[in-house]
Amino acid sequence: MDLLLQTLINGILAAGIYALVASGLALAVGVVGIVNFAHGEFSMIGAFVSYLLFVWAGIDPLISLGLAALVLFLVGAITYYGLIRPVLAAPELNQMLLTFGISVALQNIALLLFGADTRVVSTSYQGATIALGGISFGVPPFAAFVLSVGLLGALYWFLGKTRLGFAVRAVAQNRLAPGLLGIETQQIYLLAFGLSAALAGIAGVMLSVMLYASPTVGFAYTLKAFAIIVMAGLGNLRGVVPAAIILALAEAFVSTYVPGGGGWVEAVFFLVIFLALTWRSWRLS
Amino acid sequence: MRKVLVVLLAVLGMAGLALAQTTVRVGVLLPISTVAGKAALNGVQLGVDEVNAGGKVKIELVVVDDGNTPATAVPALTKLMTVDRVDIVIGGLASGVTFALSGPVKQYNPLFLCIGAASSVVEQAFSDYGRFFHYHPWDYHNVAAALEFFKHLYDSGARRVAILYEDGPFGSAGIQTYRQQLERQGYTVQAEAFKSGSGSFTAILTRLKGFRPDILYWIGYDVDALPIAAQTRQVGLEPKLIYGAPPAWPVGFEKNTLSNDVAGMTAWLPSVANNESRRFVTQYRRKFGEVTDEYMAPMGYVIALSLGKAVEAANSADKDRIAAELAKVQMSTPFGPLSFKPSDTGRTRFQGFNQSIWLQFQYLEGSRRPVFPASRAARPLRFPGNY
Repeated sequence: MDLLLQTLINGILAAGIYALVASGLALAVGVVGIVNFAHGEFSMIGAFVSYLLFVWAGIDPLISLGLAALVLFLVGAITYYGLIRPVLAAPELNQMLLTFGISVALQNIALLLFGADTRVVSTSYQGATIALGGISFGVPPFAAFVLSVGLLGALYWFLGKTRLGFAVRAVAQNRLAPGLLGIETQQIYLLAFGLSAALAGIAGVMLSVMLYASPTVGFAYTLKAFAIIVMAGLGNLRGVVPAAIILALAEAFVSTYVPGGGGWVEAVFFLVIFLALTWRSWRLS
Repeated sequence: MRKVLVVLLAVLGMAGLALAQTTVRVGVLLPISTVAGKAALNGVQLGVDEVNAGGKVKIELVVVDDGNTPATAVPALTKLMTVDRVDIVIGGLASGVTFALSGPVKQYNPLFLCIGAASSVVEQAFSDYGRFFHYHPWDYHNVAAALEFFKHLYDSGARRVAILYEDGPFGSAGIQTYRQQLERQGYTVQAEAFKSGSGSFTAILTRLKGFRPDILYWIGYDVDALPIAAQTRQVGLEPKLIYGAPPAWPVGFEKNTLSNDVAGMTAWLPSVANNESRRFVTQYRRKFGEVTDEYMAPMGYVIALSLGKAVEAANSADKDRIAAELAKVQMSTPFGPLSFKPSDTGRTRFQGFNQSIWLQFQYLEGSRRPVFPASRAARPLRFPGNY
């Protein structure tokens, strides 16, 4: 019974960081309508912001969260304005090639600046655990889960309760009509893409605490984020947390209960995408 | 008149020295964007400085980055051979890259001084190549050294080993051999594969909790070090020793409290007590303003020094005459004595070091300290460790 509970808690907590990365991607896909393959690299930048602030100024990564969000908002806004905006009217394949190119470029810039080394920060709480009866879990993944739920709650509130949020949802639903009503579509896109990058940056800071900072740290999470937004339905923010939990639980159960299951994690990930797409197409037919 | 004679003699002496000096161009092919590659390059440069300062041999380096990938390494080697026209190459750090280089090396026929590439697959690939000098121990040497340590741990009361291995060529290649050898020593073994870089270990570690391992032995990469150390604690696994076998450790890991008591294997540390090692550390610090923990630095240094000796003895820049002299080199190094013999399997003719250079270390109070074998230990092994 303890094993089952421990597996459940492992899966649910792993979902926190998955949801954090995926929520930003869902925002970019849902509002701007662009599939951003560089989303994981925005997380990588967040991880390096956290690492550099820690090494240069001794700033705790949790304090770096706000600054990383701000830096990544700017990076996202600049990327949108300089690179994404000119291709918004282009075929989707061109858009995907562009974001893939941004991903490769960012990875290589990081490689030039920092080398291929894996870098870790050192905080007092990285190994901290909470024990409840026969199960235990780490403080950082728990914090990432709480942060994820909190940020997504704030995002829902912003989209559902504020005038700017209404404008964002309007643009997400129709690219032309909001413009006719006086909504500055381009500014909404800029805001949404910046927010998307900021969320990725916050996820990156948590990655620096839980894992490491390196030029490739974001890549695996881009793939997981894609699986989650496919499961949730492209652009559906409400579906992100449940989809992240399903993916993380599937991975946790396979790794725990299937002998040699740790090597099957990628297979689980592709199986989940396959099942989600099959189910969606069956439901629509 | 006397002054003129002295000056004349001095000029003639210098001219004679210059005439006696043998100059060789050496290609250096390393992944210089990685910690190990940069350390290796620093070591080579330090050794070359020392050789050149001797005055009899002048080594000129042509450095290229192999990018740690075959796709970059093969064209980089081709450039060294065809554009830079070098006859001697120092390189071959990663096994996968060196394996890919075996074809082009045989095509261009340089004297190849191999700094890393422990995989037996590389030994097989170069088995018919007579200009291949391999300094680094082979993987079966690594296994032998690790098993000696595990025997010591068995004698200290350890009985169960959980092996976490990455499911790529590096982690999974020798896993069956490891399992059999450990079981032969009396251990009960449970081995689990994982995806390197996934960062998700809680599920596998939870599964291993039921096995109650004394030793958690992971074979993976630097990206896995911190997540494994953290998540072992997070699921309450509590092994007596976490023993890691990555090719390199993360930057800053020693400063992280989670590294405390984590053990691993290396060929050299700055705290190794032998004269050559102390001399190397002093010179390295003087040139680079710091000291490194990476054993690839002294390995590069040893390669440059041994090459210098061979060139001096050959008194020629001819690669075959240099190779013949290199085969006879005997020298003291920071790792211990170096001389070339056929490899244990007999596949390659010039093997430098064997398992005797490996030592076990433990992260203690913010740095790596040698803890095994006892003859080379700076501190006693903390067993059981506190995780």
